Amino acid sequence: MLSRAILHLDLDAFFVSVECLQNTALRGKPIIVGGTKGRGVVASCSYEARRFGIHSAMPTRMAKQLCPDAIFLRGDMERYSRYSKLVTDIIADEAPAFEKSSIDEFYLDLTGMDKYFGSFQWSKELRQKIIRESGLPISFGLSINKLVSKVATGEAKPNNVIQVSKGTEGNFFAPLSISKLPSIGKVTYKKLSFMGVRTIRTLREIPVRLLEREFGKPGISLWKKANAIDDSPVVPYTERKSISSERTFQVDTINMVELRGKLTAMAMKLAFELRQSRKLTSCVTVKIRYTDFNTFTRQAKITYTANDQKLIDTVLGLFKQLYQRRQLLRLVGVRFSGLVHGNDQISLFDDTIKEINLLTQLDHIRKRFGAGAIKRASTITKGAS
Amino acid sequence: MKFSVSSSDLLKQLQIAGGAIGSNPVLPILEDFLFSVEDNKLTISATDLETSIITQIEVMSDGNGTVAVPAKILLDTLKELPQQPITFNVNAENYGIEITSAYGKYKLAGENGQDFPKIPEADTVDTIKLQAPALSQAISKTLFATSNDELRPAMTGVYFQVDFNKLTFVATDAHKLVKYTFTDVSSEVSTSFIVPKKALNLLKSALPSGDEATLSFNKSNAFFSFGNVQLICRLIDAKYPDYNAVIPVNNPNLLTMGRSDFMNSLKRIAIYANKTTNQVILNINDGSLTVSAQDLDFSNEATEQLTCTYEGEPLTIGFNAKFLIEMLNVLESDEVKMELSSPTKAGILHPAEPIEGEEILMLVMPVMLSN
Repeated sequence: MLSRAILHLDLDAFFVSVECLQNTALRGKPIIVGGTKGRGVVASCSYEARRFGIHSAMPTRMAKQLCPDAIFLRGDMERYSRYSKLVTDIIADEAPAFEKSSIDEFYLDLTGMDKYFGSFQWSKELRQKIIRESGLPISFGLSINKLVSKVATGEAKPNNVIQVSKGTEGNFFAPLSISKLPSIGKVTYKKLSFMGVRTIRTLREIPVRLLEREFGKPGISLWKKANAIDDSPVVPYTERKSISSERTFQVDTINMVELRGKLTAMAMKLAFELRQSRKLTSCVTVKIRYTDFNTFTRQAKITYTANDQKLIDTVLGLFKQLYQRRQLLRLVGVRFSGLVHGNDQISLFDDTIKEINLLTQLDHIRKRFGAGAIKRASTITKGAS
Repeated sequence: MKFSVSSSDLLKQLQIAGGAIGSNPVLPILEDFLFSVEDNKLTISATDLETSIITQIEVMSDGNGTVAVPAKILLDTLKELPQQPITFNVNAENYGIEITSAYGKYKLAGENGQDFPKIPEADTVDTIKLQAPALSQAISKTLFATSNDELRPAMTGVYFQVDFNKLTFVATDAHKLVKYTFTDVSSEVSTSFIVPKKALNLLKSALPSGDEATLSFNKSNAFFSFGNVQLICRLIDAKYPDYNAVIPVNNPNLLTMGRSDFMNSLKRIAIYANKTTNQVILNINDGSLTVSAQDLDFSNEATEQLTCTYEGEPLTIGFNAKFLIEMLNVLESDEVKMELSSPTKAGILHPAEPIEGEEILMLVMPVMLSN
């Protein structure tokens, strides 16, 4: 098989870098971007902060304990999106095919370019161009597949590059800790550690059948990963398969009026998003998490729709079925999946002319003044915004 | 009990009755045909407790009796036999059945005919007389518009409105609606009821091409009889939605065009529409109709322009092409008229030339176009 050349680009501490760009006084200090209120988590932290043991997804409260002097920032998603777009545009100008796998990560397929440009040289030039034009530090890994490139980028950071040429993946992987492999989370890591497996070298020498017995199906993919096998292609554009929204409350609640209001607001927000992108959903999922972290979901298949009322009714119906215990809730969420392109079919009996006109006008206002410009009175709850 | 009968004649009757047998019966005996022989006449009954079919056939018998015969195995056997006389021999004690053909013997286990559920009898009923072809026509013009939504049982059937010499069939799934009225009937009552879809489907395939049929009904059941066949079904006990209130009047825009041109164009354009939603957009201007569709997932796109007669304001309206095609397919006239008012109100389709003795109105709801 023709050997591939896959480049993985990852912006270093992206949110923090953007903040530093805005305010140079922040440079070289421990910076933490994330939720600052009670239950917020760290979204991104500077390398200085990492020295204190802080990492992303850690509760902000814990980060505060680890490093009380750190600078905590709320973050501005809109600004980050703008910078992400800037970088995306630079890559789109240069690259033949690229996949944007998250706000700060990109995969490029450079297969066949080596002969003419020199893949590594070309990648370095692309990186310099990004740094020059956006001012953001970026690292990359270049290898034969997405997995190895991603791990290589992780090793290269901060602000550096690694090339893992064909045939050397094994040597590159062997001494690394298994926690460096994507998809090895806390639980798997713990389990493997108990088995005495710490490095990828050990992991890849375990017979695949043993891993399958211990971990089930994921065991096979674990073994493949340890052996640096990854056939997944670089997918230039992925259609969104679902849209969702969830909310963790600042304080756990059992206030049904507030809960229902929150769910209604989420359903309406997502329904507007659907209509904006001219899509319909056929599957509604509601998720709740009790105060003891027990999480439950329930879903319903419906006929394709983007109609506010139908979706709100479905969401509240599911919530009613789902909320069984008389316990405080810490999170509620709504997801619409099974999306297709299309417009909402008007019903002969359910939709009166009046309601249709109302919906159209509501959307008109939202389009002009923003999604939050107009809402139902029932969705306005005190406290949680 | 012993009787003999022609295999192909029997098969024909069994295939009619067999339609009533459900795919997942609640009782094992519902997988059977009930055979009852009386005075050289075999009566075959089949039921799923909702819909029942009774049919009769002449046989040569040496006594009377009843037995329940497993339907599938019997039908499969008869399908594989060339036409010939076959003999059934039923053991009155253990209900064992032995079939003798020219090739050999087949034994199957029957059940006690007394255990077979009783099929409702047509007593205290009102009756309508009508022509079988007219009934069959009315069914095929309306049945497609019924709903599959079990949550709204009323719409899973066809609404029969009897008004002395007029019979109106209405079917809707909340997105499209068909109202078909014909006058060639005779009755002495004015009433209405909902007949389930399954019964009408069976009726359509069993109705003879030329014959008179009677329709009797009481509060809970409808009885259709024609020739030697009787079809009994339980009526849907639900309130039919007030459909007259939702048919818009005062539609200022009138589109007239060739039915088959319109239908064929829609069929072609629909190939390029999204496969799940089948949405097409009609752009109507003075004298021309543009039909277009696109499927963003595959970057498919198609546009066609047709000539038409149009009186009214220019209009852009979206429809599910499948609905329009189904409706145009059922109409028979060369030209059709479509009344429209606004992009969010129903379109009304009817033949340009009215047909003597019948009246048909089809309504289709548009899709909400967000500009």
